[in-house]
Amino acid sequence: MTPTPAGPQPKARRLAPSGLATGLRWLPVALVFGLAVAAPGCARRRPSAPPAMPTAVVASQETTTLVLFFVGEHGLLRREPREVAELPSGTQARVHLVLDELLGGSHSGLASPIPWAVSVQTVFADRKGQVFVDFSSPSQPSIAGTSAELAFVYSIVNSVVANCPGVVGVQLLFGGKEISTLGNLDLRRPLAPNLDVVEP
Amino acid sequence: MKACRCSVLSTFSVPLCLVATLLVAAAATAVPVTTPEGSVEVAARGDLLDVLALLRLTGAEVGFAPAAGSFTATLADLEVQFTPGSSLAVAGGRLLDLPGPLRQMGDSVFGSFATAAALVAPLGWSLGGPPAAPVLSKTTARERLILTVVRAESGVMVVVSGTARRPRVSSSASAVTLQFTAPIELGAALPLADELRGAELGEDSITLRLAPDQEMASSYPLEDPPRFVIRLQKAQPVVPMVQQPQGPVIVLDPGHGGEDLGAQSPTGAAEKDIVLAVARGVAARLQVAGITARLTRERDELVGLAERTAVANRLQAAAFVSIHVNASPARSARGAETYYMSADPSDTQAAQSAARENVGASEDALQLILWDLAYVANLNSSARLAHTIQERLNALQGIKDRGVRQAPFVVLTGATMPSALVELGFISNPEEANRLQDATVQDQLASVLAEAIAEFVRTPSLDIASPPAGTP
Repeated sequence: MTPTPAGPQPKARRLAPSGLATGLRWLPVALVFGLAVAAPGCARRRPSAPPAMPTAVVASQETTTLVLFFVGEHGLLRREPREVAELPSGTQARVHLVLDELLGGSHSGLASPIPWAVSVQTVFADRKGQVFVDFSSPSQPSIAGTSAELAFVYSIVNSVVANCPGVVGVQLLFGGKEISTLGNLDLRRPLAPNLDVVEP
Repeated sequence: MKACRCSVLSTFSVPLCLVATLLVAAAATAVPVTTPEGSVEVAARGDLLDVLALLRLTGAEVGFAPAAGSFTATLADLEVQFTPGSSLAVAGGRLLDLPGPLRQMGDSVFGSFATAAALVAPLGWSLGGPPAAPVLSKTTARERLILTVVRAESGVMVVVSGTARRPRVSSSASAVTLQFTAPIELGAALPLADELRGAELGEDSITLRLAPDQEMASSYPLEDPPRFVIRLQKAQPVVPMVQQPQGPVIVLDPGHGGEDLGAQSPTGAAEKDIVLAVARGVAARLQVAGITARLTRERDELVGLAERTAVANRLQAAAFVSIHVNASPARSARGAETYYMSADPSDTQAAQSAARENVGASEDALQLILWDLAYVANLNSSARLAHTIQERLNALQGIKDRGVRQAPFVVLTGATMPSALVELGFISNPEEANRLQDATVQDQLASVLAEAIAEFVRTPSLDIASPPAGTP
């Protein structure tokens, strides 16, 4: 038994996109986005350059495309690809990375689904693929508007499940406590991803 | 104790040497733990104990899942999962707040005495004695519950203290049963109160017999210290059969109310006012059409989410429609959409649980199968109701069709009949906000909603089963 180090890994280095090449690299990702959510953990990994160096160095040059969910102009979630350096292998560290990227905001001008300044305090995973994410306490007791509430909750759930292999559901905690709802959605249990609130 | 070599730190040699010495000393200690098999030394780091070793002393098998980064201790059918760096654990499928975080040091995991005690407890063991010489023993003592009655403006509350376990609650017309996961006993006599007629104590459950004019309104846990509250209320008068409304009853739920404004327009118009006006209009039109309609709130008042569906469940409503207006971070978002309960397996369980709590139904296999059938039937009927509402809304001029969607909303989870939540438009969109405040538009919305509900009620249902016997 060799436990992996707990807690978040150092934030992955963000690689600068390179015009057309980057656009072409995103094309296959866009084609499999639906699968990325329906089949958890399907974040695609491609080498950014031919492997011309020893294996370890090539691995460090690989990039991975995450699928993050922000708010499109019609109020539904819209997928945004995000290139990051090699993903950490542990679920907790990977969830931290995904949420860091999500909370950091859209790179393509989409609206943020996060209504308040919020930080991730703890990530906890059980053996059944359920992840518990403890956020800092909300500054308001509720989120006004069903679309706003759905966008907040499912931007997190969908982003985590789409990018973390083996994760099937996410429960949101706040200030170390379970809450029943932020308005209408039932948050008393882990939620499965919801493609009904995502743009087709 | 290892010697401390501080030559390279000569400038700070005295204090750093002392700190380093203390750290090394802390790393080297062990505490004698008394177990039923005798005394065993368990590694310690300062005040922290090796929790993996303690868990193994209970006979539990401890495993590690690298992908999840979590440990699992399994003892017979009991299980507790925890992760280094976190103060959360999962025991018996429930989230457990540990008194302190767990720390990974080398190949083991360390936690405070209290944290270690909290981890072994779900496995049926207790860690007692002084922290310097802990005693690990199998839990045999019953949890001593103390019941007190508190009177507040919102009603009478029975407060259960003495355990951190959250019971499963079921209620019927005359009793509330709390089912715990460990043996219990009463630490004091049942408090005298007009609302309580007595209590029956089981091995791991207690049933409170209520006065005839009382019923459970809600139940919820409190923390620091952990308690569990049963809120009682005056029982709703049973309507004599001769006064039963003819035909189906529809419950309309204007969202929010009172201090909960709901979403607001850029100019300050509140969702709670718009939806109340529309709901009243729908009710009036349904009444004219010969369909009895009830509102979960008749005025500007705050009503809890659970109470809203409880009204519909109590009235055995044919349908429950929650009425809202929407808001989004995308200011240009507009249009109407309708939701019904999602079919996610966890939502199914939630619906079953809510239904059982609503009617106090038993958990035998036949009852659960009947609930499954009823749930599927309700899901199909709810989809039909949602589509009927959305189609009628789409016929209105100026409405953008956002379609029918599914989501696990609290008010839909708790309903034991076909239910839907309709969003009439976006109050966050200035143009739609103006439209939604227009009395004429509100009338139009009320008309089409009433037409949709009437169509739903009067169309013969092909959606199989009705709720099982005993369902109100």
